[in-house]
Amino acid sequence: MAELKQNVKIHVSNLMKNFGRLEVLKDISLDIYEGEVVVIIGPSGSGKSTFLRCINQLEEVSAGEILVDGINVTDKKVDINKVRERVGMVFQHFNLFNNMNVLRNLMLAPVDLKKADKAQAEKNAMEMLRKVGMEDKAYAYPMQLSGGQKQRVAIARALCMNPDIMLFDEPTSALDPEMVGEVLQVMKQLAADGMTMVIVTHEIGFAREVSDRVIFMDGGYIVEQGPPLELINNPKEPRTIDFLNKVL
Amino acid sequence: MVRIMSTYGTLLFKAMGQTLLLALSGLFFACILGLIFGILSVLKNKICNIIAQIFVDIIRGVPMIVLAYFVYFGVPYGLNTIGGMKVTLTALQAGTICLALNCGAYMAEIIRAGIQSVDIGQMEAARSLGLPYWRAMQRVILPQAIRTMIPSIINQFIITLKDTSILSVIGFPELVNTAKNVVANTFMSFQTWIIVAIMYLIIITLLAKLAKILERRLNRGRA
Repeated sequence: MAELKQNVKIHVSNLMKNFGRLEVLKDISLDIYEGEVVVIIGPSGSGKSTFLRCINQLEEVSAGEILVDGINVTDKKVDINKVRERVGMVFQHFNLFNNMNVLRNLMLAPVDLKKADKAQAEKNAMEMLRKVGMEDKAYAYPMQLSGGQKQRVAIARALCMNPDIMLFDEPTSALDPEMVGEVLQVMKQLAADGMTMVIVTHEIGFAREVSDRVIFMDGGYIVEQGPPLELINNPKEPRTIDFLNKVL
Repeated sequence: MVRIMSTYGTLLFKAMGQTLLLALSGLFFACILGLIFGILSVLKNKICNIIAQIFVDIIRGVPMIVLAYFVYFGVPYGLNTIGGMKVTLTALQAGTICLALNCGAYMAEIIRAGIQSVDIGQMEAARSLGLPYWRAMQRVILPQAIRTMIPSIINQFIITLKDTSILSVIGFPELVNTAKNVVANTFMSFQTWIIVAIMYLIIITLLAKLAKILERRLNRGRA
């Protein structure tokens, strides 16, 4: 992957985020490179999800900077919608639009934002559904799908905007165990296709197998980071060791 | 009862028409007010929230009969003595304003609650795809909110229709006001009020039926 690590896709410097008096992110600095798959692990409340949500500005930052492809998303003058079009996000609770079927879920943003005409968007949507193995459910409503199916549709929906960065916020945490595999399989494929991915997850096995770098967060800081095998098998910081002992 | 209907039937039916007219014009403006203040109260803007809250609190805190006297008698008098303006409102205009304000405040609350009942994740997902706030509202949030709002809105419509009777106090020739005159002429209060009750019952039953059909249509195609 060494040759890919040239282009910085996401540059984070001295990021801080408070909710009222609660400091969730204390001082985060980080570069994520093009084509890199970064997995963020850590105990709940450590700020992993908040960090992810800061990248596409679902949370406003309290201090610091985030550059996505060189664009400062923390700048109020930046049209954040334009940035979001290229940064897909997958949520823990899927968040499929309940008032429309699968196909319309996928077509809404591309058509509404005039990225494609209807026919083109539909063709593209069907292709994405095929990619995640959901083409036979194109006309089903979200309520009729299982958790794993919903999450695969949610991934396809994000892909329809043709993003070059994908954020995953605990994509398998709300799933029954037997459905975790199908979602991870789709994500693995995506990683193999060279997508830049930032993933918050508790799936240590997935991190070991697929990621280029694992970041361990605790208490609003990045405690330790490194290649997956190194960090998971030989953590150096006591807090990392302690956490991994509990989850492995 | 037959005698009343044969003599005053046309008058009462006309009054029923006036009741409907007043209710519909009031509801029309109430929906507009409700939508405006309902959305103001869910915006991420403190000033908008406060404006909506004040409107709702004031209107909800004042009985409609007081509002009716104030709008019909108080406001023109005040404008005349303080501002020197000659303004007169017809009973229909004043009645429409009262109903619109009163029903509008309750509608605003229904709309606010409906929008807030939609999971926040729906908005986040729409925004994460790059949709602007208003598009997300329009395409994703409102269609889901309306489904939960419909029963409450119908309820509010029925209450408003009945509240038109309060506007008899400003002399609008709706059902109750007309019935009072009929009773004054005939002294047959038992029969007259039964007729009036049946007329209300018919209008409201029809409205409720219509609403049920609408509700079913909106829920069609929903798994």
